[in-house]
Amino acid sequence: MKPQLTLQTPLELPPQEISNYLNKLWTSEDTHNYGASTFTLIVWQPAWLEQCLVQNGLISGPITGNLNPEIVEAAKNFVLDEGLPHTTSLDSYELLNLLKEKLSDKNFEDYRGQFFESSISTLNPRRLITLAPTLNNNSELKTFVSAYCPLSDSLGNQPICGDLVVIRGDSNSINKKGLKIIDQLFIEELPSWLWWNGSLDESPEIFEYFINNGPRLIIDTAFGSPKRCLKVLDRLKRAKIAINDLNWDRLKSWRESLAMIFDPPSRRPILDHITDIDVDIAGEHIMQALFLISWISDKLEWKFVRVEKNEDFIKIEFHRKNGEKIITSINSLPLGNPIVHLGQVIGLRLISKISDVQKNNTCVILGCESVECMRLEAGGMADMQLIEQVVPNSFSSSESDVSKLLGSSRGNTSPLFENSIEIASKIFSNLNY
Amino acid sequence: MPSTLSNPLRLGLRQERVISPQSLIIFGASGDLTHRKLIPALFELYLQRRIPSEFAIIGCARRPWTDKEFKEKMKIKLSEQISGKEKEWDKFSKYLFYESVDLQQSEHVVRLSKRLNIIDKTQATHGNRTFYLSVSPNFYASGCKALKSAGLIDDPKKSRIVIEKPFGRDFSSAKKLNQIVQSCADETQIYRIDHYLGKETVQNILVLRFANTILEPIWNRNYISSVQITSSETVGVEDRAGYYESSGALRDMLQNHLTQMLAVTAMEPPGKFEPEAIRNEKAKVLQATKLANENEPWKCCIRGQYGEGGNSLNRLKGYRQEEGVNLNSTTETYVATKVFVDNWRWQGVPFYLRTGKRLPKRLGEIVLTFKDAPVHLFESTIINPSPNQLILRIQPNEGATFKFEVKSPGSGMKSRPVEMKFSYDESFGEPSDEGYVRLLADAMLSDPTLFTRSDEVEAAWKLYTPLIELMDNSPWKLPIHNYESMTWGPPESDQLLSKDNIFWRRP
Repeated sequence: MKPQLTLQTPLELPPQEISNYLNKLWTSEDTHNYGASTFTLIVWQPAWLEQCLVQNGLISGPITGNLNPEIVEAAKNFVLDEGLPHTTSLDSYELLNLLKEKLSDKNFEDYRGQFFESSISTLNPRRLITLAPTLNNNSELKTFVSAYCPLSDSLGNQPICGDLVVIRGDSNSINKKGLKIIDQLFIEELPSWLWWNGSLDESPEIFEYFINNGPRLIIDTAFGSPKRCLKVLDRLKRAKIAINDLNWDRLKSWRESLAMIFDPPSRRPILDHITDIDVDIAGEHIMQALFLISWISDKLEWKFVRVEKNEDFIKIEFHRKNGEKIITSINSLPLGNPIVHLGQVIGLRLISKISDVQKNNTCVILGCESVECMRLEAGGMADMQLIEQVVPNSFSSSESDVSKLLGSSRGNTSPLFENSIEIASKIFSNLNY
Repeated sequence: MPSTLSNPLRLGLRQERVISPQSLIIFGASGDLTHRKLIPALFELYLQRRIPSEFAIIGCARRPWTDKEFKEKMKIKLSEQISGKEKEWDKFSKYLFYESVDLQQSEHVVRLSKRLNIIDKTQATHGNRTFYLSVSPNFYASGCKALKSAGLIDDPKKSRIVIEKPFGRDFSSAKKLNQIVQSCADETQIYRIDHYLGKETVQNILVLRFANTILEPIWNRNYISSVQITSSETVGVEDRAGYYESSGALRDMLQNHLTQMLAVTAMEPPGKFEPEAIRNEKAKVLQATKLANENEPWKCCIRGQYGEGGNSLNRLKGYRQEEGVNLNSTTETYVATKVFVDNWRWQGVPFYLRTGKRLPKRLGEIVLTFKDAPVHLFESTIINPSPNQLILRIQPNEGATFKFEVKSPGSGMKSRPVEMKFSYDESFGEPSDEGYVRLLADAMLSDPTLFTRSDEVEAAWKLYTPLIELMDNSPWKLPIHNYESMTWGPPESDQLLSKDNIFWRRP
């Protein structure tokens, strides 16, 4: 379990008293009563899987909102026990619907909003607001509030404190009443972030509220349908609203490794003769692969021509400025294991043909493990000049990814991502998906 | 089609830390450093999109310039760098302001304070300020006092002071200056700059040592027989005679740049890659460093001064013939010394440091020579098998070379040395940033890792105190040896090593 942020149990207050209570908290006469001048973080924290597993008695409570190994293990076992496909995503509707069929009526402690990884709490958020929708559609809105002061490692430092607010209830009550409370909780002089820690398909009206109210947005396009994800991204881009996507951020090691291959100037000519790129993904969610291919085509100034979908792969054709054709394909591979983030890239093969003689050509293979590299080498690729690299598969938690964003970003959309969204949207709109 | 000269996949990929909104106030804005290094570095940061939109650069000097004049002067001085990037410069120059300030005049500083408050509002810089003292070292103490009196450095979280070298002239003056500066501001606010630490290759020493397990077991007295640190320049004193005459190679280069390279090469691994952990280790190793012969310091140091040289087509003046130099000057333009690091890791390993002007090549390098094989089994194609060497090239051609023995082709078993090379250019294909780009960004990011702390500066001065005392009190014991321009220093410098059966590496 992640460290608990507050030592005391948050105080349940009527929604209308929250704002006043917090204002009083930070205007005390105690001169050591510092409120951090940092940021407000609002977290949409449905934790549907955890709620379902707890209510099914498959894991013990309380509900914390953190995707810990116990939850992942219990969900994997459930997938296998119920005979669902092994590649089932842990946030898939099939899995959740099956779990929802067997819910018990037991009440469990719900501690969402009180447990955060230290990577986030050490950034001293001034205000943490958790929106905790419940499985039960008839839950009245409840609000909780507490102050917290993270202990500092260095002696002599004054504690810099913040507060947390939990807004719990069914999605409808959060939408109708919860958002009105949030209206009063923005701290004008500090930046606000929204981390939408769930699928973009759900509660669009609540997400819409945040789009219109200005916090910097953090989403994860590994969750939600590609259609909805790209629609949201395209709209935000057109409206010039900043967006950060954890699914795009998780591509970082792939972008970095591929760029690293071509850092030595002697290898740069290979880029001008690329003919094929294959991207292997785990499962069928194509968003991450689409972003990776869009990024490459953007950087190499290729023009999108057409896309077609076959049973096992999607083929995308680009043209270079000189008219040469490049075929890229996204291949969905079944992994024998249920996974948290569907559609993560697991391998990339890039072929560059300078002459008709096979050995003079180049094959670059990046794989997240050696087995994947060997798979991509099949078909005589090893006869070519072969550059192979294993990209470490990073298993950092979403909270740790979010904390990196909070600590290093001004919240604006990365220009690389912005360009990739445009190309990915164009490809997707030509695809019957 | 994208050019293959740069790596198109690399563009925009580098994730740089974000500089928070702030004002950078440069005192001495009419001086050379501002237009040669500081404004170019800031413009480079702007081109790299690392300057926040809420930003201001306020040039301060005694000259009665206006904002517009300052912008124009900078544009003229940077014309070469701006060429082709005029639009970017125009946008960048909106961050430039100027205020005529004499730091000795309290009313000037008060006026500056008011101007900064206005700029805080117009540029949304939130009172976050970095003060850069690019003034004569004589004004460091009074400059800090003036800032303190005006209340400009009261908030340790929102204000920083960057101080250029030289920080003091000797141990006692550095200590006194530290006391004054620390009475004005918290140590965490003080950034003593040594631009050598901003060089990519100096930082790479840390990565090379502490990210590669293969090196750590041999990075000590058991395997390394000696270390040479060289920083050489081809140029003479140029237009810096006024400063250089009162400084010399020891104060200008040895005490700071070369000693910092020694610290990075010899320090113990820090527990964490955090500023204080790194600076603790650097300070500890400097405190453990001693001249090879403290009782007879003249035996472990050679000073030199360049004489005439060059060829008939390009005749070079000797130092004493340079403009602004005393005809009888005893200022050293070359210094070589031998020191020991008195700790477990380095006991008995000599460190030789040399620096000079008008040497045949401009370069900076660190050479670690490993011990000979205990038994020579193979005949060498040259006289003796040469020892393994790891050469870390700081500039130019940044990189590293490992020299080792291999079998020479043929029927016999003769060995000969070969080199295994790593070159930044060949591996990365793009130039690394100027030291000032990195260091200015770090100061504005409140990251003191690459800046020297008070105890490091004092330890470095203390190390050379016996030599400085000799130079000041009995200079005849540490004579100036003449050397021909464009040679590797006076012959006496070779003797410093040949006594130990070692030779300077000829780069």
